[in-house]
Amino acid sequence: MPLLKVEGLGKLYDGETKVLRDVNFEVEAGEFLSIIGPSGAGKSTLLRCINRMVEISEGKVIFDDLDVGEMRKKELRKLRTNIGMIFQHYNLVPRLTVIENVLHGRFGYKSTLQGVFARFTEEEKERAFFLLDKLGIAEHAYKRCDQLSGGQQQRVGICRALIQEPKLILCDEPIASLDPNSSKVIMDYLKQISTEMGITCLVNLHQVDVAKEYADRIIGLKKGEIVFDGPSKLLYEDQIENIYGIETRELITV
Amino acid sequence: METSQAMNQALMKRKRNGQINIKSGNKIDSAVKWTIWVLTVLTVISFFFFDYTGLQLERAITETAHNLRVMFLEPGLSHFGWGEAFYQVGITLGLGVLATVFGAIIALFLSLMAAENLSKPWLSKTIRIIVAFIRAVPTVLWVLIFAIAAGLGSEAAVLGMLFHSVAYLVKAFSEAIEEVNPGIIEALRATGSSWWHIVVHGVLPSTFTYLLSWTFLRFEINFSVAVAMGAAAGAGGIGFELFMASGFYFDLREVGFITYAILIIAIVLEVISTRLKNRYFPSSVKA
Repeated sequence: MPLLKVEGLGKLYDGETKVLRDVNFEVEAGEFLSIIGPSGAGKSTLLRCINRMVEISEGKVIFDDLDVGEMRKKELRKLRTNIGMIFQHYNLVPRLTVIENVLHGRFGYKSTLQGVFARFTEEEKERAFFLLDKLGIAEHAYKRCDQLSGGQQQRVGICRALIQEPKLILCDEPIASLDPNSSKVIMDYLKQISTEMGITCLVNLHQVDVAKEYADRIIGLKKGEIVFDGPSKLLYEDQIENIYGIETRELITV
Repeated sequence: METSQAMNQALMKRKRNGQINIKSGNKIDSAVKWTIWVLTVLTVISFFFFDYTGLQLERAITETAHNLRVMFLEPGLSHFGWGEAFYQVGITLGLGVLATVFGAIIALFLSLMAAENLSKPWLSKTIRIIVAFIRAVPTVLWVLIFAIAAGLGSEAAVLGMLFHSVAYLVKAFSEAIEEVNPGIIEALRATGSSWWHIVVHGVLPSTFTYLLSWTFLRFEINFSVAVAMGAAAGAGGIGFELFMASGFYFDLREVGFITYAILIIAIVLEVISTRLKNRYFPSSVKA
């Protein structure tokens, strides 16, 4: 049984602009999957339909045998605790400490009052330190997030997603604002998470080379439609050309 | 080349004497010009229609100068002592603090409902319209309206000031909240956080300093309003003493003293709020 099943997914903005049309794919548990495509192809929208940060217009998204589109408020919160998310701009609360930001990942498991008064158990705090240590930033735990570099902030973002104990992690351009060195560190950690912890990863990427190097499978998106779906090693020049609409050597690939 | 020159010729606007115009010559420009002209003419004409009977210009000027000198160079107290003066200033400050603190607490909750990024569009619009209406009516009027129920005095003054403060702060707070990075809210939503979690751990830490400086700014306003309310609504405090000294006893020295007392407090508040503003609104100074 696949972990995630997307059937005939379509998304309209303002009732007319069609961002996604008839998207179909399945993801098995433990896969490392990358979605590539030019800007405006609908990659971010596709990710946000999976945890319903945007409403689904057509078709179905089935996660763990449950229909995401049909969920009520409470079920939706439960779904989101099972799906971690990582963003291009990290989206941490800059004035709070690293450890506080990591523990924000536990809110999905908390009642309103527990969350408002930040009642975290000692196990949760220990788990947070364990994850920070795993990503090599435990010594920054009590620093404010705006004092950290981009690469370090993204690692805090990964910790926040991991402490949710998710089955799936959605990464929306995780390395688009980072230098090549930090990009490699982040991608290595993501790969490590998927192999060691068996967490499924869905990564939106601009960089074709990075996708080919890290992902088991690649989905190519063009104008809201899937134009390629297969193992990364089967993605050849002509398909990349088809996805991006120009020849690869004209692309600046970092 | 020639065609583009012809195009430019068609686009250029010329004055009557053939020079190229650099003003856009739209309706707003000419409306402003005409308004200024009309006002100038009316001002000049009005001087010829004043009622000058009984005016002794020389005496008026010297006596005003004398009064001002007595007021500001020989200030003193005659009807009450220093202790009483401090006590009355304390009452006025107290009126301002009460209205501001209660106002800030109520406004915080209302502004969460009025901020578009945290609320439903209909709710946010409704609150904004109500609040805009309350703000449009001056504080003094609200105090007099509440005086119907509470009677003239400090209760009505605090209620009226509170009412206006809430309306003012809801606008300021909700605009500060709307400037929170939408990514922070999105990230917290994606972890399965509830609305209160997002507010307490995402929005408030990011905006707290703004909210605090807006509140202090409002306190400064409420202090000066409280002075006026002491006189106009019988709310007590230094404003009432000022009213008695000037309108009842015609004691210019006391008026001078009270004016200095109010001025000192106002300067202290102004200094603190300017410091807060520079610290927390470095780029744009919002008044």
